[in-house]
Amino acid sequence: MSETYVSKEKLPGIVEQLMGTHRVFGPILKGQYHQFALLEESADLDLAFRNTRLSPKALFHPHSERMFEFTLEKGNPDAGILKEVPKDYRSRIVLGIRPCDAYAFKLDDRNFITDQFKDPWWVQRRESTTLVGLACNDPCSTCFCTSAGSGPFDTSSLDVLLVDLGEGYLLQAVTHKGEQLMGDLAGGESVPEHCTEQAAALKQSAEAQLGIQFNLDPVKQKSMVELFDAPFWEDVQFSCINCGTCTFLCPTCWCFDIQDEVYQSRGERIRIWDSCMFPLFTLHGAGHNPRDQKLKRVRQRFMHKLKYYPDKYADGIACVGCGRCVQHCPVNIDIRQVARLMAESCVCPV
Amino acid sequence: MTDWEPKIVAFLCNWCSYGGADLAGVSRMQYPANIRVIRVPCSGRVNPKFILAAFRHGADGVWVSGCHPGDCHYIEGNLYARRKFTLLNNLLEHTGIEPGRLHFSWISSAEATKFAETAKQVVDAVKKAGPAQHFIKKQAEVA
Amino acid sequence: MRAYTEKIREAAKRLLSEDRVDVVIGFRKGTVALMNEPFLVKSLDQVDRLYWDGNCGINLANYLPKRPDRVAIVAKGCDSRNIVVHLLENQIKREQLYILGAPCHGMIDRRRILAALDGKEPLQVEEANGTIKLIGRDFEETLERSSCLQDNCAICIHRNPVVYDELLGDLVAEQENVDRYSDVRRVEAMSSEQRWQYFDDLIAPCIRCYACRNACPLCYCPTCFVDESRPQWVGKSIDRTDTRTFHFLRAYHVAGRCTDCGACERACPVGIKVRRFTKKLEKDIKELYGYEVGLSTDERPPLDTYRPGDPEPFFK
Repeated sequence: MSETYVSKEKLPGIVEQLMGTHRVFGPILKGQYHQFALLEESADLDLAFRNTRLSPKALFHPHSERMFEFTLEKGNPDAGILKEVPKDYRSRIVLGIRPCDAYAFKLDDRNFITDQFKDPWWVQRRESTTLVGLACNDPCSTCFCTSAGSGPFDTSSLDVLLVDLGEGYLLQAVTHKGEQLMGDLAGGESVPEHCTEQAAALKQSAEAQLGIQFNLDPVKQKSMVELFDAPFWEDVQFSCINCGTCTFLCPTCWCFDIQDEVYQSRGERIRIWDSCMFPLFTLHGAGHNPRDQKLKRVRQRFMHKLKYYPDKYADGIACVGCGRCVQHCPVNIDIRQVARLMAESCVCPV
Repeated sequence: MTDWEPKIVAFLCNWCSYGGADLAGVSRMQYPANIRVIRVPCSGRVNPKFILAAFRHGADGVWVSGCHPGDCHYIEGNLYARRKFTLLNNLLEHTGIEPGRLHFSWISSAEATKFAETAKQVVDAVKKAGPAQHFIKKQAEVA
Repeated sequence: MRAYTEKIREAAKRLLSEDRVDVVIGFRKGTVALMNEPFLVKSLDQVDRLYWDGNCGINLANYLPKRPDRVAIVAKGCDSRNIVVHLLENQIKREQLYILGAPCHGMIDRRRILAALDGKEPLQVEEANGTIKLIGRDFEETLERSSCLQDNCAICIHRNPVVYDELLGDLVAEQENVDRYSDVRRVEAMSSEQRWQYFDDLIAPCIRCYACRNACPLCYCPTCFVDESRPQWVGKSIDRTDTRTFHFLRAYHVAGRCTDCGACERACPVGIKVRRFTKKLEKDIKELYGYEVGLSTDERPPLDTYRPGDPEPFFK
């Protein structure tokens, strides 16, 4: 696949070119932290960020989204008929996404794109988006992508990978879509000597810095029921306050709730992020709640990510190692620690 | 906006203010028709959520009225209510609700004149404040 | 404050081995810098994991309501006041509690430090002599401890526990001449329109994760009003009006109960200063009813009592 080099002075020009043909989303410093948002000016783009506070999943699966609207007017022939709310699906680029966050979309696809059902909003947004990732030269202490099946230079879900080489960026096309995007760009230079080697060295040092922080192989062998009943959950769950921080910041937590809201004679059907940490998440209409205790809810989150999902799809865990939950859990529940507990509690055949 | 008439939700306690409204009615006293009465057992029964719910559903003003302090049918319900609504009113105004939207009064079941007069005052004040801008939801402002 | 660690372990060992309590609630050292995790000790072999430093800002009183067992709990000034509130609200009985009072020097605001470091990541933290030394992969920086406190700690006037069975250290001098309400007054000086905008901007980043609610020791209702469906008081999306309704009612619900412990702000993942709502209530309650929360179990909370002559400035 092709490679191009863009010096840092030329980057704003390149971004503006892209903004001429696409809607470009990138990390912008808003208040205290970075978040992905539509670029109004190329100068807003701030690639000197570690990662955004909230994951970019909201670009594909917004926190709250109007799906349908309806009228309840008497006599209106359309009364009670759901009509899809029009959305903007023009082509767009997400610039500067971290490889782990992009990899998360691949996991989320499992939920939104199946053989039987395809979520139209998710699918259309995925199709209209080109992901231009930014490799992680300097991962955080809370990052563990290398232990979660991804990595700081993981290209598995990107169309183009950007590597920051100090003076400029190395652009590597990964997919056909990425190749096309790069082909259309003017202003790229041929790759100077040693750049490819430099990128490889950065990759190696970033990976070494991350190391492998836990090994979940023993969990695969372990019976689900035994892990489910393991005594350590009691200890893990104590400090949890059952807020939705971990799930809402997580790039792979895709659960949502659907609500109908009516305002006098019209209304809309909205979907809203939901969290398995909330008691309401599993509350049945009849009043029974199968996950009525904090322990059950906490266990669900970790078991889903580290046991149920890998067992069901046999394709790694449902976590990409971005470390947001580790960094922002108000009571410091650390998924890496839980993963180790789950692995340790297993008695492995020698 | 000249033909705009405010909608006002009035929570009236069963034992005093509702009786006052009743007496004003049978006495053929005139007061503006902007008031929608909700009868409650006691002003102490009115939960702050009710007041926000009224605003959310498009009320331009809310009026809560109970027995005079000392005359509560439940002895002290209105005295608790007094503290509750003092704090509520202050917090609402602190967070940007204009003065004149929320009203409280003590009206006994014999005070038909006071009821009609207070109703006029409330309606005038809400008219002055204009149509409600805040807390009304006409559509979810989301993606 | 690290000296407390030893005292806490010693007390936990003693209380558990003498069968004075069934469990001890404290902190264990966090897995990331400037964080500790609330920790429940059930047996003697766990005691040595108990830990204390300036990163114990989470309010441990949050873990008390409806506990059936005998609990020893480490309590800073604010935690102890929340314990008083729990006692007043019958969430736990005094006989069940053994309170290890921790006179407090204020808790460290992790976000403030991270912002001051501007992207650099501290891996190790050392607190000594009123300074905080932050050591990262390729830097070392020392900050004044007093400039790194949580907002609420900087203006705290009850650092010593108000109720305790034993103290972990000498009582500290309370801060005096503190202006607790400068931010409230700033808003009070605005017009209605400006105020509405001010609070709109304040809560704009909210993602409705309810961390503020759940970190709060006062929020123990079996069903929160946001989860009620008949009627549904508030929508669940991040619509401005719904977010406003949530924050407004959450704040109002803690009126006369909030000790300004700051757990809500500390927990908020998007850094909303939610105390801007509750501080107004605290100020009013002090001015109108002369009440300060959590100082005594003999006085009823302000909304659970009245005086015949209570002020009623705007009642007709």
